Amino acid sequence: MAEESFLADDFLRQLMSVGEVDVLVGIPSYNNASTLEQTLESAEESLRQNFVRERAVILNVDGGSTDETRQVFEQSGERKGGIHKGLTSLRTIHRVSCLYDKSPSQGLALHSIVAAADLLRARACAIISPATSSVTPSWVANLLRPVYREGLDFVAPLYARSQFQGLLARDLLYPMSRAIFGQRIRELYSEEWGFSGRLASQCLEKDVWHEEAVRARPEAWMAITAISGGLKCGQYFLGSRGVSPAGTGPDIVEAIRQTVGNLFWCMETNQAYWLSRPNSQPVTTFGPDHELSPDGLPPSHEKIFELFRSGVSELEPILGSILSQDTHAQIKAIALSDRTKFHFAAELWVKTLYEFAASYHHTVLNRDHLVQALVPLYRGRLYSFLLEHTNSSAETMEAQSEILCQEFERQKPYLIDRWTAKS
Amino acid sequence: MKEVIIQGLEQAYSNLVHMFAEFLPRLLVMLVIVLIGLLVAYVLKTILRAVLHVTRLDRLSEEAGASRFLRMAALPSMTELLSRSLFWVTWSGFILIGISVLGVAGLQEQISRLFLLLPAIFVAILILFLGLVTANFLSRAALLAAVNAGYPSPKLLSWSIRFVIWALAVSMALEQVGVARQTVIAAFSIIFGAFMFGLAIAFGLGGRELAREFLERSLTEKKREKHEEPQPL
Repeated sequence: MAEESFLADDFLRQLMSVGEVDVLVGIPSYNNASTLEQTLESAEESLRQNFVRERAVILNVDGGSTDETRQVFEQSGERKGGIHKGLTSLRTIHRVSCLYDKSPSQGLALHSIVAAADLLRARACAIISPATSSVTPSWVANLLRPVYREGLDFVAPLYARSQFQGLLARDLLYPMSRAIFGQRIRELYSEEWGFSGRLASQCLEKDVWHEEAVRARPEAWMAITAISGGLKCGQYFLGSRGVSPAGTGPDIVEAIRQTVGNLFWCMETNQAYWLSRPNSQPVTTFGPDHELSPDGLPPSHEKIFELFRSGVSELEPILGSILSQDTHAQIKAIALSDRTKFHFAAELWVKTLYEFAASYHHTVLNRDHLVQALVPLYRGRLYSFLLEHTNSSAETMEAQSEILCQEFERQKPYLIDRWTAKS
Repeated sequence: MKEVIIQGLEQAYSNLVHMFAEFLPRLLVMLVIVLIGLLVAYVLKTILRAVLHVTRLDRLSEEAGASRFLRMAALPSMTELLSRSLFWVTWSGFILIGISVLGVAGLQEQISRLFLLLPAIFVAILILFLGLVTANFLSRAALLAAVNAGYPSPKLLSWSIRFVIWALAVSMALEQVGVARQTVIAAFSIIFGAFMFGLAIAFGLGGRELAREFLERSLTEKKREKHEEPQPL
């Protein structure tokens, strides 16, 4: 088997001693000693109460933690005889750990988990991040159950968000991926998700694990693999997501490099699927499909506008090689407009993104550089959004978000034209 | 008198015939060598072009921004440029060999000198090309990083990187073809040294405030800025 070549002997020995399982919970870790215990407890509690008869394993894959993460995992496995309320598992919940590399990588971590799932013939798997402080036993069950009992192959989470949280996902990743791949999955880029053994086996067969896009954001690639493979996808509302101080996630530049780079790469590698795809369809959703709470404070945004304006000016030749003359001229014009009346229209934003995607496809310059050149423009769009919605209600913001999604779908033929045009 | 003239003319004619008799086979050999050279150069060009197509050099050149410069200079694509260069270098070599077969006194030494220079010229062109690609790539990477991080004068930083790499590539190329070797090394050392010294003075003395601001920004403000912007995901 392919996985035998890269899984360590000790890890393989541990997996063989487990035998086959029904459900698997994977926990990728890196310096999460302070929060891992709680994550493990939630996972174990969930398996004990919701998967009483099923064979289960909790798998920790570590990226070379320099704190006591690995010891925490090993010691927590030695605890015996806790008092548990209600139903408890009739079977042993196995615990397996491995060091997949000396430096952390989401892709390598998932590769190990997927290989283990394939080897153990797990039917349902869930990935839980120890950096998420709000993981409860129901989260784990809600990611596993639709796969194990409802026959879904990929389950994305749905989080309750405050108004000004996750704007990159709401203003770019969700509407664009929805228009391109035709499935309305809101949180394609997340730290928790569930998948079937069938999807794990399909992913394992693909020779793309070394690709930077997969190493950085494997969850979105996995979801798109499921979509393009015709497998069933869904989403489950988990509630609000709290993050430990150590896990606040990447900054705006790194987030765009990882997620937009991944999205463009997935478009490139799945073009045969999406070029002929009609408009989007809703997916099976458990619970509400969104929840925006009005408790978030708008961030200070003066500097965001300055970074947009200077970016448009300093990167003029680069943007000129990516964008059409008309789009570039419109962006230069709004960059010169009065800050208080600034407006980055949805139509222009969608056109800009589609031209970036087409230029990525035609490799008009180094692809990582191209994605980085999007950062100032995203800041412009972000500033416009903050200016427009400082006092908006959650309903208004959600309605605007839907209008943006429809704009992405309306302009999809323009993307296809530019994408298929000879360079 | 008449006999002497006739004898002289006969002698001249005989010399001319003799010279042609000696020269014509050499000319034929030269033409054969030139024709073989043309064939070899064409085959090599075709092979190199196919190899470069397989290795997608044009895409690399496009990504690195070198193609843009080639287009600006009305030059063909990178693959075409390198293939044609190999063709001309190879054929020129054969032409020079052919000319040397003619045995024209004085030309022999010059040709052998020129012949020895050809590989060096080819390597120098390659060095210049790699320098151009590297300079474009690194200067653009620096420009994007500086713009996105909000550093002051990103273009200055970008052009400084480009200039240093160009200077290095040009001096290496000139050294390769052996043009005023000592002068080139000295000139490069002076330019590079002056540039770094200027930066050190400007940054250390003239721009103490800027240096302090830069260090503060790098060490402390970066974390703060990260949280000024809303969490993207």
